[in-house]
Amino acid sequence: MNTLSTPIGERPASHPAAEQPVVLATHELTKSFGSTLAVDHLSLSVRRGDIFGFLGPNGAGKTTTIRMIVGLIYPTSGYAEVLDHQVPRDKEAALRHIGGFVEVPAFYGNMSARRNLRLMGSLNGKIEEARIDEVLDVVGLRERADSKVGDYSHGMKQRLGIANALINKPELVILDEPTSGLDPQGMKDVRELVRELGAGGTTVFLSSHLLNEVEQVCNRAAIIDKGRVVVEGPVSELRPEHQAVKVLTSDQARAREVIAAFLGADQVRLDEEYLIVESSDGTVRELVKQLVAAEIGVDAIIPAHEQGLEDYFLGLTQSSDVDASRASNATEGASR
Amino acid sequence: MRLLRLELTKLFAQRRSYVGWAALLAVPLLMTLALYLNRNNAHHDNGPGGMISLAMHNGLLMPIAAITLLSGFLLPLLASMVGSYQLAGEAETGTIKTWLMHSISRGGVIVSKWGVAVIYVAIGLAIVAAGAFVAGALAFGLHAPTLLSGQTVNVGQGLWLTLLSYLYVLAGVICVLSLALLFATFTNSSLTAAIAALVVVIVMNILGAFSYFDFLKPYLFTSRVDAWQSLFSQPVEWSPILKGVLVFAVYTVALLVAAWLKFRRKDILV
Repeated sequence: MNTLSTPIGERPASHPAAEQPVVLATHELTKSFGSTLAVDHLSLSVRRGDIFGFLGPNGAGKTTTIRMIVGLIYPTSGYAEVLDHQVPRDKEAALRHIGGFVEVPAFYGNMSARRNLRLMGSLNGKIEEARIDEVLDVVGLRERADSKVGDYSHGMKQRLGIANALINKPELVILDEPTSGLDPQGMKDVRELVRELGAGGTTVFLSSHLLNEVEQVCNRAAIIDKGRVVVEGPVSELRPEHQAVKVLTSDQARAREVIAAFLGADQVRLDEEYLIVESSDGTVRELVKQLVAAEIGVDAIIPAHEQGLEDYFLGLTQSSDVDASRASNATEGASR
Repeated sequence: MRLLRLELTKLFAQRRSYVGWAALLAVPLLMTLALYLNRNNAHHDNGPGGMISLAMHNGLLMPIAAITLLSGFLLPLLASMVGSYQLAGEAETGTIKTWLMHSISRGGVIVSKWGVAVIYVAIGLAIVAAGAFVAGALAFGLHAPTLLSGQTVNVGQGLWLTLLSYLYVLAGVICVLSLALLFATFTNSSLTAAIAALVVVIVMNILGAFSYFDFLKPYLFTSRVDAWQSLFSQPVEWSPILKGVLVFAVYTVALLVAAWLKFRRKDILV
């Protein structure tokens, strides 16, 4: 597997997203189980070539939404649309363009990986042996292709799930937490794989509860909580605009004066040995120049929020109401 | 048809399929062995049913004797298991969701799963017939069979009557597997669905056993299963056979439609 090392946030705009056609859209998609609302009027759209992160804490309604998109469950109201085919009304046509898995990929344990792929692939049309070899190569399972899937490790099943998602060359690949339960190397492999898919022009809809994963892999994302979209947009814009940096200098008192004069007194404060500076894009560079001009030695400048989106995300989803965690637990129970 | 072919691929890949068939095959072999070893005082100990005494000295009638023994319990059991496993078994392993995430209709899935269960039972019956025929021929030879009513018909006619009775029993067993398939749309446990179908069969048998419930009897498919035996009296009385076929068909269609209605909009949450 070769590596695409550029983080997506800084990726050149190879996908002029707005001009690409919509591959997947959900329109006011809603699902309730009894009195529990698992997905609540959820609308989003994914354009061709997007690697779309579908981000939310466990129990936010991610899997329930995916199940509705692929026609495994029926929405209480609303619908999904895949390349102009409405789901559930026209789901057979829609599913011709979708590959993927929901939760843990499930296969026939008494058959080899190759037979599973042949069997599943045949459901959407004719499948050639060469294609089976090809997808097995992509996920690195070629050597184990003839072992029974029942003997596979969790990570291998996960990779087989991706192979199966690709077998019919679908336009839209839906992966539900593809790195869950994998070791760090496995996670890295799967993320690289997803990036390569995107680079190859496949539209990927990736659900995840891991923010750094979405930051690393996706160009667009929606953050959902309690079945609703909280934010949707390019991953780079999901970051908070103003980011704090921690500054350590040879003379903190004078440095504080310099920064206060430059940015305003309310933009800087002393926290233990560091100065915390609220900065926006480009200000850090200017700041350093000013400090150097004032003959203050700069020892370190560190981003104060190393998690980036993580903090932002927590702020969005852990609202002040105390029932939040209880409500999300209830939703999780219902979506299982 | 493509769905049915793919379902067959899965059926033949499962070891349990062969175990079921082996269990079926064991019955005619054991039965023939018992009759053969006991052949000298056979007139006193014929085992259950008149058919078995007919088969006593004629391998040609051994398939008929075998089906008499099987239609009571083992066949309904296997039919329940294969019918329920088709859907609920795949819910247990989660593979049903992988299966349904393809461009196939829910109706097609139900029909193909029903079809593969029918094929399974049909193959099972063919194995029983072949096993009984070979074992019976080796033990007792093949003779022109004597019927229940006392006449003797030629070998060809005997084989023809045997084939008809097997097809009739198959139609009856299809009711059981359709019932199991219907129950499998309500539960994700194949064992639960299989047992539920068997319970219904047993309850129907009990109802059929009491004269108080005689008014129900024409509508119970279980009470119709033994009607094939009238094929073995000359002249053949066709009316119970035809009525039986009608009852089986009505049950099967109704159960399949019910299974489809339930499965069509079912939320797959496994």
